[in-house]
Amino acid sequence: MKLTILKKTAVTGTRLLLAGTLASIALMWSSASFAGGTQYDLRVDGLACPFCACGIEKKFTKTEGVESVDVDLKKGLVIVKTGDGKTFKEDELKTIIHDSGFTMKSMTEKAR
Amino acid sequence: MKSVGWPILTASALLLTVSGNVLAHDPVFGIGPHVLFKDGMEAAIEVHQEKAGDEKESELGLELVYGITGDWAAGIDVPYVFKDDGTDTSSGLSDLQVFTKYRFWREDSLGRQKSAAVLLAINGENGDEKDSPPLGNGATDAIVGLTFGYEGIEKYRWASARYVLPGKNDAGFQKGNKWLVDFVVGWRPTPPEYTKPDTVWLLELNGEIADNAELNGTALANSGGTEWFIAPGIFWTTRNFAIKSGIQIPVSSDLNGTQDKPDYRAKLSFEWHL
Repeated sequence: MKLTILKKTAVTGTRLLLAGTLASIALMWSSASFAGGTQYDLRVDGLACPFCACGIEKKFTKTEGVESVDVDLKKGLVIVKTGDGKTFKEDELKTIIHDSGFTMKSMTEKAR
Repeated sequence: MKSVGWPILTASALLLTVSGNVLAHDPVFGIGPHVLFKDGMEAAIEVHQEKAGDEKESELGLELVYGITGDWAAGIDVPYVFKDDGTDTSSGLSDLQVFTKYRFWREDSLGRQKSAAVLLAINGENGDEKDSPPLGNGATDAIVGLTFGYEGIEKYRWASARYVLPGKNDAGFQKGNKWLVDFVVGWRPTPPEYTKPDTVWLLELNGEIADNAELNGTALANSGGTEWFIAPGIFWTTRNFAIKSGIQIPVSSDLNGTQDKPDYRAKLSFEWHL
């Protein structure tokens, strides 16, 4: 009798542990899916000076959800990385670049 | 009543307040078409010094600029001056300057920007004109300017013209109208990388063409004339911080009457984009 109860308890415990592990894995996977955000590669004209280009970074980092901004002056590229759920429309990006004193020519968008 | 010698020193005082606008990436002594990003703030500390014969002036200035749009900025320049005319010395707040610059044309391409802007500045009359030497000229002056700039990864060039319209003070003294013209070239020896310090070398040709000053409508003989300067300079930046410096060396002076020719003028500024 006691042995039967112990066996049942062990099986139940194992099932609970397995269910908990599977739930944790599912939660981690779903979190990972949303944590990537988006990367925007903007082709920008007028970029010649890092001090002046810093204004672009200043404008973007004032926007909630923007994680990082990098600039490649030689290629005329501004790379903006956003966090979970933050996205930009093309017009919004054009306005930010224009307000920084430059001209956006094109953009590409990809999930991180 | 002020002595005839007073207008000469006051003429040099105006020079410092005319050249106050720091806005980078612009020349050290001339002006350029750069403004500031929208809603950006710029704070700058400037140190100027000039010497002409026995007269010496030093100025410590604070400049604040706000970006109204990506093509329009406005600011204020607050100068504190130290003066020595060889006999007397004085120090204190000089004439404040408020200014605005509007970039009305811009052509952007890969690694290049060409642009043009207009400038309007007003010098106040808050400096104590009764001090000896006077800290202000006791009149409100207006300055209008036009500037063109080409900015590239390796090379820069600017051309600008400003016209100074001095006011008349209570004693009836009025400086002569003045043209300031500037031609500047810049060279960046090392290709820029966004997060690394950046250096641009500058060489300016600055010209000043001034009419005679007047006292109660009568032209003063020992005032006005034409001067040209060569000014080597440097512009060093890292991220949102910049240091700009240069020295004006006179190369040609054709001054009316008896006036001390300038020995040198120097400028150093520290600038932050906030």
